[in-house]
Amino acid sequence: MKFFTAASIIALSVAAALPPAAVAADKPVVGLVMKSLANDFFKNMLEGAEAHEKKRGDYELKAIGMQNETDFESQLNGVENFITQGVDAIVIAPADSRAMVTPLKKAMDAGITVVNFDVSLDEQAKKDAGIDLAFVGPDNRGGAKMVGEALAKSLGAGGKVVILEGNPGADNAAQRKLGFEDAIAEGKLDLLDSRTAHWETEEANSVFSTMLTAHPDIQGVMAANDSMAIGVIKALDVAGRSDIKVVGFDNVPAVAPLVKDGKLLATVDQFGSQMAADAIDKALEVVAGGPKLEGWVKTNIELVTKDNVK
Amino acid sequence: MMQALDKTTLNAPTEATVSGMSMKLLLRDAGIGIALLLLIVFFSLSTEHFLTSNNISNILTQITINLILAIGMTFVILIGGIDLSVGSMLAFCAVVAGTVLTIPELSVFQAVGLATLAAIGTGVVCGFLNGWISAFWGLPSFIVTLGMLNIARGAALQVTDARTIYSFPPSFNAFGSQMVVGVPVVFLIALVLVAVAWFVLSKTVFGRLLYGIGNNEEAVRLAGHSLMFYKVAAFTIAGALVGIAAMIYMARLNIASPIIGIGFELNAIAAVIIGGTSLNGGRGTVVGTLLGACIIGVLANGLILFGLSDFMRQMITGVVIILAVIIDKYRERITAS
Repeated sequence: MKFFTAASIIALSVAAALPPAAVAADKPVVGLVMKSLANDFFKNMLEGAEAHEKKRGDYELKAIGMQNETDFESQLNGVENFITQGVDAIVIAPADSRAMVTPLKKAMDAGITVVNFDVSLDEQAKKDAGIDLAFVGPDNRGGAKMVGEALAKSLGAGGKVVILEGNPGADNAAQRKLGFEDAIAEGKLDLLDSRTAHWETEEANSVFSTMLTAHPDIQGVMAANDSMAIGVIKALDVAGRSDIKVVGFDNVPAVAPLVKDGKLLATVDQFGSQMAADAIDKALEVVAGGPKLEGWVKTNIELVTKDNVK
Repeated sequence: MMQALDKTTLNAPTEATVSGMSMKLLLRDAGIGIALLLLIVFFSLSTEHFLTSNNISNILTQITINLILAIGMTFVILIGGIDLSVGSMLAFCAVVAGTVLTIPELSVFQAVGLATLAAIGTGVVCGFLNGWISAFWGLPSFIVTLGMLNIARGAALQVTDARTIYSFPPSFNAFGSQMVVGVPVVFLIALVLVAVAWFVLSKTVFGRLLYGIGNNEEAVRLAGHSLMFYKVAAFTIAGALVGIAAMIYMARLNIASPIIGIGFELNAIAAVIIGGTSLNGGRGTVVGTLLGACIIGVLANGLILFGLSDFMRQMITGVVIILAVIIDKYRERITAS
């Protein structure tokens, strides 16, 4: 009991001390809200942002993340804490493209510059809330189409493919699926099945093994992220099917050897480490009195194959 | 000390009642076996590829990790506990072992040996803490293992700095997909573990006392046994099994990531419950757990072959879990009468 009292006193005093500290700093404070600090992609992104803070040296970075990609609530709390602390800008990769609109409106009403990156907020939800917010980020649909086209080119028209989707309901998962479908339509591929493996290696391994049993004539696989592509490639190794081609998304370090020895035909690099830094730059321009951001500020994406893998 | 067990105060079976008890347990397991058989017949008739040797070995590979976790969960649930931390512990064990496995100075033999020790050791420490903390302070294991769920996940992320470990020795990787007459070696390992667990639970005094604790903790204590020892042992066994599951995960998928295993505890609990083990403790068998894990695996595989959507598949799995508990209620009445 004594411990808890002591702990809560400390917690309260810390909470009380924070807002004045943030306001008193002469450098602008940027609150970075990440989706998850628990995977390579966001980890690189955070490190990129931290390096950027050191390099620029003219702002203070406060970063928060969540335990997993679907933990909306801690993200919501994070945004509210930043509002209370009175940060100058919030740069956010929303966990949910609709749920985060309301707290961000609150932040904008409080005079905070908000920049949305990585995953775009839902257009309709923004309209309903009466806010106009630009998006800094990659074209997930375009990237998926690009890597899907690489597969289509390698298979030729009539190639039989399956898709492994990300989390149902997640906007980037939906966008990537649409991009794959664009490539399938244009390349005249034949889509046999499309299922979610929730971004997970082990689940992708199991789900894909079963899809392969149902459709032994599969020629190509489009995985919405590299973690799932790794699970697919393991399943192909076990089944002894080196004839089936796989493409992924994200270019995580673990796939570099797979791209080199041809087991992964292609993946897409979204330059995650630069993405948060780019968004922070944009936010600071606005904080310094620059014009309001509008529409979609697209960030760089690149197709990674055997020829350019590092 | 063991002779001090008194049949009238303790619901746990003594020598005299063991054979009658085994008979009833056998009947219970037979019911679950029939349910599994019906599923297999259904999918064999309704889909083209279900009953092929390739698909069967796929299913066996796919259920292996859940089965090993569920064996440990059976020990914990039998004493009336629950372990919510196994998914996170799997990740923690895997990244510790993965770190050892990728030390370049070690030979493959040394690396795999040390990594296995590291994985099991990590699991044992976490499991021991789960059991000891719950027993020493008399806390519900639900809360203690909920804490461990966070501790182990955080530790896994801390150890790796949230990065994925990959590129294990090729021979270790190959082991993960080895077959013996169409049966995955990893599944055979799980079967051996089922056999050992079955022996421990049904043929040793230690095992019977675990049932006793689940049935009537007070009676076991009054009979002069250390509750602490048995509770800690059940959680520690569960932890050791998580370590083994982690090694198999790594051999199968060639990666160790701090974010693997999220929600695995729920699948393990589902296998145990579908297998007829009572959440109140004291009732159930590891053979039931094996059948429960098979039912989950057959459903996951068969429903995809059947062409059902992901969402329908999830709903049906939920329905099966609830059905299993309802059926268990009736079984309880029948075996009690």
